[in-house]
Amino acid sequence: MRERPAPKAPSRRHPDRRLVAAMMLFFFSAFLLIALKGELRWQGFALAVAVPVLIYIATMWLPRFFPADKLLLSIANFLCGLGVLVLYSTDLDAGTSRGLQQAINYSVGIAAMLFCILMVRYVRRWKLFVQIVALGSAGLIALPLVIGTEVNGATNWIRIAGMNLQPSEVVKVSLLLVLSYSMSRRRFWPWLIFAGFCLAVLMLQKDLGTALIYYITALLMYFASTGNLPMTGLGLLGGAGASVLGYKMFNHVRVRVAIWQNPWMYYEKSGYQIAQVLMAIASGGLFGVGLGLGAPRVIPVYFTDCIFAVICEQFGIIFGILVLVMYVILILRGASIALRARRGFMGLLAMGATVMLGVQTFVIIGGVLKLIPLTGVTMPFVSYGGTSMVSCMAMIGLIQGVASVNQDDMEYDYEISRSLRDQDDLPRADRF
Amino acid sequence: MKQLHTRFRLITFIVIALLFIAGLYGVYSVNIYGRRWFSNSKNTRYQAAKNNVIAGDIIDRNGITLATTDQDGDRVYQSSLKSREAVVHLLGDRDGNVANGVDSFQANYLLGFETSLGERITDLFTSQTRHGDDITLTADSKLCTAIMEAFQSGTRTKGKTGAAVVMNYKTGAVLALVSLPVFDPQNITDSVKSDTQHPFWNRALQSTLAPGSTFKIITAASALENLSGITDYTFVCTGATKVMDQYIHDYNMAQHGKISLEKAFTVSCNNTFAQCALMLGDDKLRKTAEDFGFNDNFLFRDIVVENSVYPTTNRNLVQIAWSGAGQSQIGATPLHMCMVASAIANDGVMMEPRLLTQVKSPAGLVRLRFSSKEYRRAVPEDIAKTLQGYMREVVSSGTGSGARVQGLTIAGKTGSAEASINGKDVTNAWFEGYIDDDALPYACCVLVEEGDSGGSVAAPIAASIFEYIKEHYGN
Repeated sequence: MRERPAPKAPSRRHPDRRLVAAMMLFFFSAFLLIALKGELRWQGFALAVAVPVLIYIATMWLPRFFPADKLLLSIANFLCGLGVLVLYSTDLDAGTSRGLQQAINYSVGIAAMLFCILMVRYVRRWKLFVQIVALGSAGLIALPLVIGTEVNGATNWIRIAGMNLQPSEVVKVSLLLVLSYSMSRRRFWPWLIFAGFCLAVLMLQKDLGTALIYYITALLMYFASTGNLPMTGLGLLGGAGASVLGYKMFNHVRVRVAIWQNPWMYYEKSGYQIAQVLMAIASGGLFGVGLGLGAPRVIPVYFTDCIFAVICEQFGIIFGILVLVMYVILILRGASIALRARRGFMGLLAMGATVMLGVQTFVIIGGVLKLIPLTGVTMPFVSYGGTSMVSCMAMIGLIQGVASVNQDDMEYDYEISRSLRDQDDLPRADRF
Repeated sequence: MKQLHTRFRLITFIVIALLFIAGLYGVYSVNIYGRRWFSNSKNTRYQAAKNNVIAGDIIDRNGITLATTDQDGDRVYQSSLKSREAVVHLLGDRDGNVANGVDSFQANYLLGFETSLGERITDLFTSQTRHGDDITLTADSKLCTAIMEAFQSGTRTKGKTGAAVVMNYKTGAVLALVSLPVFDPQNITDSVKSDTQHPFWNRALQSTLAPGSTFKIITAASALENLSGITDYTFVCTGATKVMDQYIHDYNMAQHGKISLEKAFTVSCNNTFAQCALMLGDDKLRKTAEDFGFNDNFLFRDIVVENSVYPTTNRNLVQIAWSGAGQSQIGATPLHMCMVASAIANDGVMMEPRLLTQVKSPAGLVRLRFSSKEYRRAVPEDIAKTLQGYMREVVSSGTGSGARVQGLTIAGKTGSAEASINGKDVTNAWFEGYIDDDALPYACCVLVEEGDSGGSVAAPIAASIFEYIKEHYGN
């Protein structure tokens, strides 16, 4: 028998380490560039240190305590850092401090991610846990109907202890838990009732973008778990019927569609936003006008819904497409983690979180690029907003939790096979 | 588990495909529409850039500087009032009252947005203020002035509104683009702004009006293509063709009797072309019109022009019959009708209208050079050749005799189109034609609003254009 070459010893310099170092250098120099532009800005210096440190903590330090997928972590954190950077660049001479606030949101997001990783790893009594989460979330999402405030035509905000919260963002995580738990148990009604309730409440709050994300995620997860094509088709048909009904019934839906078809015709009023978005993207050209330059603030809600247009204006459409590619890599990693899961629940959880992030990215970027009507949802990790950041990082936490459980399982297998081989009274693995 | 994994892969693929489509659509639309979005007069960015960048010059084909920037950063046009006014719609004005003039539509060049990174770094070390690129146009400003003067001095065109377009039918280079009335871009008074004739409106590019009998070129092309033996067919013109409960009349109630297609084209007989349209049917006529660019989304590189319309809804026979004579909801701009005449002259190939000869950076780098591009094939070559004969006949013995020029072979088609402007029924005078000479491949289209007769009002303007070309471009 030919002798096999000895396996190479793994390189001491892990490739992820170089990736993280490059990211830290990118953000350090980018913030420094803004900090030194014109006058000295202490906020810029603080962020030039804080953002790379946060990235280091999230991608290098935290994974010491449990196994994690570092590429997924790195990309999510790069996008978070990019959000802070772009928001800080729009702060210049505007008297706002969204960059700093977003850095705080980012650190809260890291905490939320950690919480979710620990939850996936250590919760044992899932049935009780999911029941509590479902009941709590149902109450939370309906809360804005009682004490909500209206922002941009949608009543989906509540104000607690001086902080503005958007319950529909946080409930995304609960939705994923409920869907994957009940689907993995082959139960039909529990998740349908919960998802239907959430959708109805979102419709009442006129939060159409989020409703769309909930709906598509639920539908895709249902298809993934059962493979029941007729029912999925029925669901799709029902969704299409509901959109037609919504178009016929609600004036604001008709307005959205009309400005999507021709924003320039309604420039003075409702088409203003998308027209400004298109002008911003076109002004950036291929390579952009440069960090901190351009006129991003003429776009309404440039800091949340339309932040992709700001990125395209400053960094160019090529960079915009690369950001899109990052989301694609994120989805691929998430899917591969879901595929490696041993338990149906874990697989569905990771898959659901991945799909939800992907769908949300499509809804907002497709809207900004005028492929579909623009709806007010956030761009995952990048948009300004604490609740959005928390929910997106929590979803990354879910995926990472599943990844770490997968890793534990694999190590467990390895232990078993090794102990079996050492005992030598059982057939060796390669003899199977 | 295996099936579950297959489905996982499938939904991952779906989500990624969605993102892929979004990215592809974004690249596509920025590529196609980007410059139109950017140079929109509502874009505050390039208005702001005017303060930081010295806008480049605009030069015509003879080297005359049409627009430049003075030391204060203000846009300055030519010193003579007449030459300033003649090109005002071509260039636009500094306040952006005229839509999509060269000054605003080419702002990405003029304000230096096309400057590459390397050039920006060199600029950083060599000069204090950035300079935009200089643009040389294919247009001849003196021809524009001549056209404007012909309009203003003609007894039947004085004070009228209208437009004229001249282009090279082989290359698509636009020689003149004039819209009447004109105004002075250096001194925009309140009376100009409140003028009911709307001087800011660029009639050559923005007015989609019924082309009237000039559309018969397209009806004839469709008949020649779709109805075999039509050249030998004898139509009967009684002066009034009854369609449903209405009558199709001729201009001045003329009666032509027994008449062939060629003769009908020469004398512009509405009855014959109404019958042609009914024989063809709406779909075939629309198909030919669309071959000529109707209902297309014009996305020309150098020029922004309104799209031309041939109705796509179900229509009754009266409307279809009138379509043969270019009426009933058909709309086209003077530039597009000039392209129609050019396509016939160019043996059926329609060229994309071009306006830029070259774009040159301050450092002398040529960023863009004139290149002609085929827009589409409108008709087969043999039909184009037949129509050339018809159009020559129009000028030599038919309604277009007013366009004759000593020593040149002119071909053309007149039109007296009924239209409604501001709720008032008027008759617009049209003429489109070309010089049938390989050495002088120029076509023109003239529109005189409320001019009544294409043959006696619009054609003489065309004659003066051809006269000018003969004098300045012939040997």
